[in-house]
Amino acid sequence: MPWWVWLIIVVIIIVAVIGGVLAVQARRRTGGVIISDRNKGTR
Amino acid sequence: MSILLRSSEINKLPVVTFAGEDIAQIKDVMYAAHGGRVGGFTLNGRGLFAGPLKTALAWETVVGLGPDAVIIQDESSLTPTESLLAAMQSSGQPPGDILGSQVLTDDGAALGVVIDVVIEVAGDGSSQADVVGYEIDPAEGWGRGTNPMLIPLPDTLSASGEHLMVPAAAREFVTDDLAGFGAAVDDFRAHLRLRGRG
Repeated sequence: MPWWVWLIIVVIIIVAVIGGVLAVQARRRTGGVIISDRNKGTR
Repeated sequence: MSILLRSSEINKLPVVTFAGEDIAQIKDVMYAAHGGRVGGFTLNGRGLFAGPLKTALAWETVVGLGPDAVIIQDESSLTPTESLLAAMQSSGQPPGDILGSQVLTDDGAALGVVIDVVIEVAGDGSSQADVVGYEIDPAEGWGRGTNPMLIPLPDTLSASGEHLMVPAAAREFVTDDLAGFGAAVDDFRAHLRLRGRG
């Protein structure tokens, strides 16, 4: 295969890896609202 | 004087010490199923590649909570996340995220799905914070259109698992505007107290 085909393949792999890492990281950092069952008192 | 904040506005707020150090970012808001009192926050590290921290912030150590930052004394205010979660859990079951949970009235009608939570921060931003309402995507059967609605909660709310129960009377006090939501919560709670007396 010509060198530029390898170059395109390498670029695609790098972009996919970076995209995957960013997606996983965004998911890990996503916040929420956690409800606990311990009675902390009412007003 | 109190302020109303959505949990989505609190998530990602920077945690700043008195020395001006920006040490973490809010990840999750933790609150008690009975009473709705905010017990603390789990934290993310600063920066895009930092993940969740193993330390959390108990509400007792928060000096101030406002729309732009959470203020603490210093880094010693942080506690291990596991010990804070254990302090808030009595059943041993893992705590659950209520975003995406279904809201049901006590007469069995589905009102919608929780997309956000409204938190009232009392006084100077450090004395107390309570969950006072849910922002929901209305259920089709309710006939309130598709715009998000704010639904007030009683001051002795009860919630667990996938379904969140609210009194049927809450339907009469829904609003789509956070500015008028504080009054809706007060009216709703006054209505419940009157009904309880009658």
